[in-house]
This record gives sequence, structure tokens and C-alpha cells, in this order.
Amino acid sequence: MKLLDVEIVENKMIANGIYLLSFESEYLAKAFKPGNFVNILIEKNSIYPLLRRPFSISFVKENKVFIGYKVVGIGTQILSQKKKGDTLNVLGPLGNSFLVERFDGKVAVVGGGVGIFPLLSLCHELKKVGNEVDVFLGFRSKSDLFFVDEFEKVADNLFISTDDGSIGFKGNTVEFFKTKVGEENYRVAFSCGPKPMLSAIKSLNLPFKCYVSLEEKMACGIGACLCCSIKGKEDNMLHVCSDGPVFDIMEVDI
Amino acid sequence: MLEVEISGVKFKNPIIAASGTFGFGREFSKLIDLNLFGGISTKGITLKKRTGNPQPRLCEVYGGIINSVGLENPGVEAFLNEELPFLRRFDTKIIANINGFSKEEFVELAKIVSPLVDMLEVNLSCPNVKEGGMVFGKDPDKVYEITKEVKKVSACPVIVKLTPNVTDITELAKAAEKAGADAISLINTISAMAIDIETRRPLIKMVTGGLSGPAIKPIAIRMVYECFQKVKIPIIGMGGIMSYKDAIEFFLAGATAIQIGTVNFVNPNAVSEIQKGIENYLKNHGFESVKDLIGNIII
Repeated sequence: MKLLDVEIVENKMIANGIYLLSFESEYLAKAFKPGNFVNILIEKNSIYPLLRRPFSISFVKENKVFIGYKVVGIGTQILSQKKKGDTLNVLGPLGNSFLVERFDGKVAVVGGGVGIFPLLSLCHELKKVGNEVDVFLGFRSKSDLFFVDEFEKVADNLFISTDDGSIGFKGNTVEFFKTKVGEENYRVAFSCGPKPMLSAIKSLNLPFKCYVSLEEKMACGIGACLCCSIKGKEDNMLHVCSDGPVFDIMEVDI
Repeated sequence: MLEVEISGVKFKNPIIAASGTFGFGREFSKLIDLNLFGGISTKGITLKKRTGNPQPRLCEVYGGIINSVGLENPGVEAFLNEELPFLRRFDTKIIANINGFSKEEFVELAKIVSPLVDMLEVNLSCPNVKEGGMVFGKDPDKVYEITKEVKKVSACPVIVKLTPNVTDITELAKAAEKAGADAISLINTISAMAIDIETRRPLIKMVTGGLSGPAIKPIAIRMVYECFQKVKIPIIGMGGIMSYKDAIEFFLAGATAIQIGTVNFVNPNAVSEIQKGIENYLKNHGFESVKDLIGNIII
């Protein structure tokens, strides 16, 4: 991990309130593994926003690092106004990463909303080592879709769900995933998305391993502040930033 | 130029990592040189391991952050076996921040820990626990009693960390001094609250938490200044220090050393920037030492 000043290459809206930011960093592009995140100082010497903001790395391309984000508060709002050539101070790569190996059977990747961001590079890596990958993506509505073309290129099967049914399957992506679990012989699943979605996946009691990437409010991103602690299954404390963000779903209290 | 002394303990510079913001140093050591710190005040330790408070534990407000970590820590045994040997590798003074839920627990911790560290910081000010902490720290009689008992058994100098959540912090400072404290540190976080107007729920699960960051600095400066008038023991000042300028203000108000906390999250290089800034300030203003600044405010 390093503290880096980087220059923004591009920062564009790719869907309703969803942005994709890229910057050049040979170090991060090389050190990055799917699941890692960075802690970005959005404004230097600012008192509001004060803290760095954590963002998962969506993917890297040559020396460019791509960060997808949704505008939800003051930090992301200011970030969305940044232009090509503006600098950002970035701390990373942080956290652990998804397990990437050749699995003896199909792999399921389940993403919801902004939880989809870290899953794109994961799919790339899973395919690189020869896996067959089914991807399940859940959005609110057709106008919220992003990364669909990119996932189409990499997934063996791509299943889109929307809450309002404006495209793909109407309803919850986990409900749809559940039907496929009965039909397919998955060996492992990876997921990232809102907590209720991850809880729903946990309650499926999948007959195979499932790894999830979690999110909590954090200050430092390196395990010092203990703000992002979550309970493990034995009432032990785990830290999303340093023990995670990727956990075995059965090992955490969600 | 930067060296300061507190009750015989020599700090090579007056910058100390504030408890609760720096873990046990291990995490930051991957990023910065811990030798840069004059001292490190460890994450608050208790006799037994504690899991702390439920999520969400953190929210950001204008000019600061509210946390309710609730003294999550691995307990004193793990501190001594796993964390302290690591910290001892660095050329920095180790201050163990201790927390009890009774006078007896403070005494027990002091007995176990004090022979192995440079100083104890008796935390009578944590706002995020139901027992002990700030509950003790608001009562001058309790501050006196606990400090006195801890002093009796402590093998190293004792700092008492005070809470700002009182009408008159100087009463607590005087109680600590009277009981034999070697120094006081102030301020701990200020009890605070924030509400999400969309969900109408508090942003912290425990409803209230402790506010830190630049928003609390003027309050901290005032309290250091007031305590400096009332006690003779050294004061370690903290609360919203983001730059060397803030640090200088604390020295002028009466602090002998400073602790930096929230800024570590924002700018891990703050320690070296503040150190260089203090040095330059001293040179530019014709002072020979940090000691020349302590309480050197012109009213």
C-alpha cells in the first residue's frame, strides 16, 4: 500500500447518478487484485468532507485504474465534479481480495447496485484461469443499468434483474439466483451488494462456498480506527478494511 | 529543539499519536515510520477483551467525525504478548491507555502494565461506554480516588485523560493533580449526535458518540488554556489538530506536548508535516525550543 497523488484521466457519468473515474497509476494497476479498494482524499485541507472515502477498484486497463461510484453524499458529489487533470490523493491498494482459482465446476457471481463494481475485474480473472462464470446482476430499473456490455463480454451467462421489471427478470436478483442454484452445479459463488441482499444469500444456505465483499463506514482503511468492525460467527470482531472486505459468508454476522 | 520532558520521560519531539486513532501502531507502520512520533498512546486497553459497540460506529459531520467504537480491544494479555513487543522495536515512548469499569480494574491494569511501558494514560473520559470512562471522569472525587490508587501501584508516570463533557474541566484537572497525577491529557471527544433526516434515525447506532476533528479545536484550546492557569503539572493537549499551526496554538495555550488523532485518518503523513512545521515556526520566530512556547500566549 502507498499514498499516491494521481491525476484524473476521465470522470464521466455512465448511468443515473453512477460515475466511472479513471486515473493513471502503474503501481496500483500492478499491485491490484480483484476485491481491493482504495481510500481517496477527495479534497485536500477540507473540513467537509473531512475523511477519505473508500471505493472498490472496478478494473484496471494497462496503467489505468477505474473506480465506479454512485453519488450518495457530499464526498461523492464533490468527486463527481472533478475533471480530467485534477489530482486526488489515493491510499491503496487496501484490503484482501477474492479467491481466484480454477474451480471444478461453474462459478456464480451475484451483484446488486453499486456492489457490482468490484465484480467486473473478478469475472475477468475468473475467466482468465478457465472458469465458466454465470453472472447475476440486480438493478432498480433499466435507467440504472451500467457495466452490462462489459459483463456480457466476460460472462458465460448474464442474468439481469430489475426491481420494476423494466428489463430482464422482474424482482430480486437473489430470488432468481435461487432458482438457478437448483438447476446448475455451482461450486462457488461471489457476491457484493446491499446488506439485505447479502443476508438473503446467506439465508439460502448454499451447498457451496460463498464469498462476499462487505462495506462499512470507515475512517482509516487500514485497521487502526476500528470503526468498520463486524461480528464474526464466534462473536469475534472482524474489520472490513483489514480482515476483508471479502469474507466467507458463513464466517460473518450479516 | 523539539525535545520535551514530562515527569522525567524524555520525548524526542512533542507529537504523540492519540489513543484510539492509531491501533497499536502496527497498521500505520506499513505506511509511515513510527520512529517519527515522540510517543504513541495505544488503543485503550481493558483487563478483558472487548468487542465494542454495534454498527454504525462512525459518521461524519461538518468539521469532524462522531465515533462510538466503545473500547474494542484484545485485552491486556494480548496487548502485552502481541502488541507491546512490536511497539518496543521503535524509538518512541509508549504510553499505555488503560480503561477500567471499577477502581479495582484500573489498579489491576496499572500493576500489570506500568512496569513495561514509559507512561500510563488513565482514561477517565471515554464517552462510549456505559460504565467507567466518562462516568468516572465527570466526578472530581472519582478522578481523585482512582488517580490516587493508580499512582500508588504504578511503576511509571501517570497521565490522567480528561473529558470535556463537564461544566468546569479545571475541577477535574485539579483533582488529578491533587491525587498525584504526573500530567493530564485533554480533551477526549465531545459527546455528540447526528440524525439522518430521511430515515429520521440517528447516524450512530448508540445514538450518541464522541466528536473529534477540527470542529472541537477551539474548545480544546480553551480548556488547555484554563487548565494551564489552574495546575502546575504538564498538559498534553489534543482535539482537532490538523496542522503545525494548530499544534502551536496548543503550546501557546499551555500544552507541553500534543496528541494527533483524527488527522492520521485523513493524512497519514501529518506527523512529519507537523514536526517540520513546528521546527520552522521556532526558527522563524527566534525560539530555541518548544519549551519556550508553552503557555507563551500574550493576553
